[in-house]
Amino acid sequence: MKKDALPTMSPETKFTEPEYVDYKEVDLLKQFLNEQGKILPRRISGVSAKFQRQLTRAVKRARHMALIPFVADSLK
Amino acid sequence: MATRNTYELTYIVNSVISDEQVKELVTRITEYISDAGGEVLDVDEWGSRRLAYPIEKKRNGYYVNMHFRSIGALIPRLERALEIDDNILRYMTLRLDAKMLRHFEASQGRKAQEKTAVTE
Repeated sequence: MKKDALPTMSPETKFTEPEYVDYKEVDLLKQFLNEQGKILPRRISGVSAKFQRQLTRAVKRARHMALIPFVADSLK
Repeated sequence: MATRNTYELTYIVNSVISDEQVKELVTRITEYISDAGGEVLDVDEWGSRRLAYPIEKKRNGYYVNMHFRSIGALIPRLERALEIDDNILRYMTLRLDAKMLRHFEASQGRKAQEKTAVTE
């Protein structure tokens, strides 16, 4: 069960994993990144292994196309 | 006949050049594909967007996303042309598998619906 999920992700319990994770859907990808732009581990986001693999791939594609940053040190 | 696949191409054009030059470049690439026997399914210009990080010291880029059907042999030729053009900052071609194809068709359907909603 997802009882260990962080409170920030808990409203996402109704999230249905799409069949294909599109790198163009930046808003979707951003839900699974921390402030630095790192991909959240599965133990935090609670997604399936299959989704995590697709997500990783989509994030890398989006980074290449400068849709999301490689590193975001937004403050300082 | 060689098998044809559906491909998705996204590229970022240097937005420092004039609007006409951008337009011309987009037309040239689209024509390059159709002239080489590709069937252009959709060209979606996202327009000028802020890049998440600077590329070649540029902070903005003009994004173009397109889908087409062609034989695989076109891709290396196309990518070489994109690589040579200095006004293309980035590009990415993906071959759509069955899942991606369904995803693409669904988004096309949504777009068509929006269009009819506007015209009505």
